[in-house]
Amino acid sequence: MHGAREASATGLSRRTLLRSGGLALSGLAAAGMLSGCGGTAQAAGAEQLRFWHLLSGGDGIKMQAMIDSANASQQAYKVLPTVLAWGAPYYTKLAMASAGGRPPEVAIMHAARVPGYAPGGLLDPWDLDLLATHGVTKDDFAPRIWENSQLDGKVFSIALDSHPFILMYNTEVAGKAGVLGANGQLETITSGDRFKEAALEMAKVTGKHGLSYGYLSDGAQMWRMFYTFYRQHGATMELPQGQKAKVDRDVAVDVLEYIHSLLDGKIATASGDGGTAIAEFAGQGSGMLASGVWELPTMQTAKVPFDAMPIPTLFGTPAAYADSHAFVLPHQQNLDEQKRSDVYAFVAQILKGSLNWAKAGHIPAFQPVVRSEAYKNLLPQAHYAGAADIINYDPRAWFTGSGSDFQSYFAENIQNVFLGRTQAKDGWDAFVRRLDTLLSKPNPV
Amino acid sequence: MSTTIDKRQAAPAAPAENRHEARKRRDRIHGWSFMAPFLAFFGLFLIWPLIYGVVMSFTGKSLTGANSSFLGLANYAEALGDADMWHSLGNTLYFTVISTVPLVLVALLMAALVNMGLPAQWLWRLSFFAPFLLASTVVSLFFVWMFNPQLGLINDVLGKVGLAPVDWLNNPDVAMWSIVIASLWWTVGFNFLLYLAAMQNIPTAHYEAAQLDGAGGWRQFFSITLPQLNQTTIMIVILQVLASLKIFDQVYQMTGGGPGGATRTIVQYIFEAGFTGYRLGYSAAISYIFFGLIVVVSIAQFAVTRKRSA
Amino acid sequence: MATTLTAPARTSRRTAVEPSRKRRKPLSPARIIATVIVAVLAVTWLVPFAWATVTAFKSETEAAAAPITLVPKSGFTFDAFAKVLQQGNIPQWTWNSLFTSAAVTAVTLVISALAAYALSRIDFKGRKVLMTVIVASLIVPPPVLIIPLFYQMVSFHMIDTYWGIILPQVIAPAMVFVLKKFFDQIPRELEDAALVDGAGRIRIFLQVVLPLSRPILAAVAIFVFIGAWNNFLWPFIVTNDSAMLTLPVGLQTIKSAYGIQYAQNMASALLAALPLILVFLFFQRQIIKGISTTGLAGT
Repeated sequence: MHGAREASATGLSRRTLLRSGGLALSGLAAAGMLSGCGGTAQAAGAEQLRFWHLLSGGDGIKMQAMIDSANASQQAYKVLPTVLAWGAPYYTKLAMASAGGRPPEVAIMHAARVPGYAPGGLLDPWDLDLLATHGVTKDDFAPRIWENSQLDGKVFSIALDSHPFILMYNTEVAGKAGVLGANGQLETITSGDRFKEAALEMAKVTGKHGLSYGYLSDGAQMWRMFYTFYRQHGATMELPQGQKAKVDRDVAVDVLEYIHSLLDGKIATASGDGGTAIAEFAGQGSGMLASGVWELPTMQTAKVPFDAMPIPTLFGTPAAYADSHAFVLPHQQNLDEQKRSDVYAFVAQILKGSLNWAKAGHIPAFQPVVRSEAYKNLLPQAHYAGAADIINYDPRAWFTGSGSDFQSYFAENIQNVFLGRTQAKDGWDAFVRRLDTLLSKPNPV
Repeated sequence: MSTTIDKRQAAPAAPAENRHEARKRRDRIHGWSFMAPFLAFFGLFLIWPLIYGVVMSFTGKSLTGANSSFLGLANYAEALGDADMWHSLGNTLYFTVISTVPLVLVALLMAALVNMGLPAQWLWRLSFFAPFLLASTVVSLFFVWMFNPQLGLINDVLGKVGLAPVDWLNNPDVAMWSIVIASLWWTVGFNFLLYLAAMQNIPTAHYEAAQLDGAGGWRQFFSITLPQLNQTTIMIVILQVLASLKIFDQVYQMTGGGPGGATRTIVQYIFEAGFTGYRLGYSAAISYIFFGLIVVVSIAQFAVTRKRSA
Repeated sequence: MATTLTAPARTSRRTAVEPSRKRRKPLSPARIIATVIVAVLAVTWLVPFAWATVTAFKSETEAAAAPITLVPKSGFTFDAFAKVLQQGNIPQWTWNSLFTSAAVTAVTLVISALAAYALSRIDFKGRKVLMTVIVASLIVPPPVLIIPLFYQMVSFHMIDTYWGIILPQVIAPAMVFVLKKFFDQIPRELEDAALVDGAGRIRIFLQVVLPLSRPILAAVAIFVFIGAWNNFLWPFIVTNDSAMLTLPVGLQTIKSAYGIQYAQNMASALLAALPLILVFLFFQRQIIKGISTTGLAGT
C-alpha cells in the first residue's frame, strides 16, 4: 500500500512540513523559555539596569560619559542605556513599556510631566530613607525643584538638573552698545521698554538684530518666553480637572502683544526658527539670544564672547521658565529588589558627578555640586545659577510638560499671533478654549 | 482514523444508514479537528479582540488601567466631533487619491515595457520589484536621507539643474507628496508584477489576429491589451485604495505625522489617541469608525466586481 | 498581523512572470526607444539603493559634508558598518526577526493547510458557516485590532516576548483560501484511491495532498515569511525593550547619543535590507512566481 506512493510522496513539501513543524515546536518551546527574559544573557554577577532617556546631541554625549564612568566605577551593576527620540515617541513608548509590566529599571522624565503621569500608577515613589543611605536627601535640592517632585506627599522624581529659559548676550556687542553694567555683565533691566531700547542699541552695533529668538513651528520655545513673562507679572495659571482653566487674560494678552512687538524685524527677526536664531547669535549677528541653557556648549564651540543670565525681570517678579530632567522609577510587575537598590546607587552616583552635566549648560539640581568651588568658578553657568530659585514649571495637568500636547496647542494658536496674523486676544481665547475642552474630558491617567 | 475503518470492516452487516451516520460523524470529527488549530488562534487573537475592542470603545479605559467606567456612545460622539480625527481622515483620503494614480499608471507602464520582451528582462524585474522586499523602516531611512534639505541627493540634483531646493519633509504643502514618492518607489513593483502576469496571460492569438488586420503596436495596446486588463486594473485599484487607507509605517517614520499634523493619517491618530494620549477606550471608538469606512469601501469593491463578472 | 488576500490561484497557464519570450523580435526603433525608457526607469529605481550604499561607505564627516560627492574624497571605508555592528543591537534584532518570522511561517503554514484541507475536502456540519466567518474576517484591517490586542497582550503578560510578536500574526484567512482553492483542484480520485486502501484522513493529507501542493506551500511560505519579517506596526506596539525588537522596529530607534550619523544610518539600513535582498537574489524566480500566484495583497 505504501511502497510506491511513499517513494514519490516524500517530496519537498512533506519534508518542509515536518521541518517547519519541528521548527515550530522547537520555536514555541524556545519562545516559552525565553519569554521570561529579555533575550540577552545576564553578565556574570553584575545586575543589568536598563536606563531609558531622551537626551541626544551634546546632552547625549555628556550623559553617555556619565553612564560610562558610573559603570566603570563599580562592579555591582551595569547600566544599559536606550535613547529614544525626544518628545512624544519617547513618552509614548515609556508608558507602553510600563503598561506592559516590564519597563526599564530607571528612566528620565521631564519633571513637569510627572505630576500628570504618576497618578496612573505607572511610577513607584522614591524611598527617601534608602536614598539617604546613598548620601542624597531632601536638603540637597532647591525648594522649588523639590516641591515639584512630589505628589500627595510622596516623591516621584529625583531631579538631575533644571534647564531654564535664559538670556545669553554677546559681551562685545553689549559693550559697544553701551549696555554693560559696571561689573562687565549686562546692566540691570527692569522694564519692557528699556529692554527694547537695549536691543535696538545692540542691533545698531551688529547691523542686523539685537535679539535672536527662534520660535517658528516650535511650541516649546513660544511657551517658554510667554510663561516667563506671564509669571513675571505675578499671574498664575491653574488647570483644574473638570473645570475651566483659571488664567489671567489681561496679563496673557499683554505678554503676547509685548512679545509680538519684539518681532518687528529690527529688534528680532519677524519669523525665525530655532536653527536660524542659534546660527545668528553664534555668528555674532545679534546681541542677545533667548533660549534654553542647553545651547551653551554650541556658543562656546562657536567661540562667541558671551555671558548669560536669567531673563531680566521686566515685569516685577523674578521668574524663569524651566523644566528638569528627573529620574523616575517605572513600576515593575515583578520587582527585583536588588536591581531597585542598585538604581538608587546609580542615581546617587550621577547626582554627585553632575558637575559634568553642568558643562552641558544645565544647572545641577544637586545642591552640594552647585555650592562647590568648582561650580562657582564655572562660567557663565554660575551667572545664571540663581535661576534655579525662581523657576516655574508648567501648570500641573495630565497633558502638560515638555514635549507634550500642551505646547503643541500653544503653538497652533499663538504662532499666528507672533506672526502678526491674528490678534493676541483671539489667539489666547482660542488656546484657552482648547484647554477647557481638554479639562472637561475625564483624566485618562 | 484507522480504528474507525476497522470498526466499519468489523460490522459488515450494519445497515446503510448506520454506515452513513458513522461517516458523517467521522467527517464532523475530522473536519473540526483539522480546523481546530486555526480556529483556536482565530478565536483568540482575532474574534476576541474584535469584540473586546467594541466593549472598550464604550468605556473610558486608559493605558494606565484606570477609568473603565461605562460611557455608552460618548466616545463615538466625541470622535465624530473631533477636528483632529477628521483632519487625519482627510489626510488619509488625500494620500489615497494622490498615490493610487501613479501606483497604477507607473506599474502599467513598467509592465507594458517589460512585456515587450526586451533584452535584460531580469534586470528590469529586479530593479522594479526589489524595493518591495524592504521593510518600511529601510525605505524611510533611504528617503529621509535623500530628502535631506542640505545634504540630500534630490535637492542636490535640483540645484544642478537650476531649481530651488525643496523642504521635502518639513513643508506642509510638499510633505505628503514626498511620502507618495517614497511609497511609489517601495510598492509599485507589486502592481507591476500583477500587471505583467495578467499581460502574459493574454492569448497571443489576439495579437496575431490584430497584426493580420494591420494594427500597429500602439493600436494593439489600446484595443487589446488594455481592455483585457480591465479586471486586473479594477482589482489593483481597489486593493491599492484599501492599502492606502491603512497607511501608517512610512508616514510615521518619515514625518511623524508632521509638520504640524499635515501628514498624520487616521491609523497614526488611532495610535496617538490610545498610546500617547493614554485613552484606549476613545482610540478604540475611532478605530471602529475607521473600520466602518473600510467596510463601506469593501462593500463597494464587492459590488463592483460582482457587477463586472455578472 | 497577516496580510489580507484574495487570490485567483492559477495552475496550468504560464502565468508567473517568465523570462523573456523565446522568439527573438526584430530591433525596431520602437523597441530601441522602449529599451531606453525602461533602462532609465530601472536606473532611477536603483538610485536609492545606490545612494544609500555610497553614503554607507563614506566616513561620517564626508557623509555630512556639503556639497555632496558621489565618490568620497577620503575614499571608501567600512567604518560606519563597524560602528553599527559594535555599538548597536542589529545582530540581536536580526535574530529576533529571524526567529519570529520563521515561527510565524511555520505555524501559519501548518494551521492554514489543515484548515484549508478541511474546508476543501471534508463535508462537515458547520463548514459553510465557518467559511462565511473566515471570509468576513478578511475585511478586518489589522490597525483596528491593535488597541484591544495590545490590552490583551498586557493581560497575558506577553508584552516584550516572542509569543506576543508571533501569535497574532499566524492568522492568515487569505492564505487559507489560497490553499483551499489549490486543494480543490487536486483530483479526488487520488484521495479516493487512498481511502479505499484504508488510509486515514491524516495520512491522505500528509502523503497525498501535501506532496502535490509543494508549489503553493512554498509560495505561501515565502509570502508569509516576507510579511512577517517586514511587519512593523504590530511588533512596534508589542515590544519596548531594546533587546526584544525585531529588525524593522529596532531600525526605527537608532538614535545615537551623538546626534544624527548619516553614514551609520545608511549602514544600518543596508544591513537590515541585506537578508531579504540576498534571499531574493537567490530565489528570485520562486519568489516572483510565488507572489504572482498567491495573488494580491494589502500592503
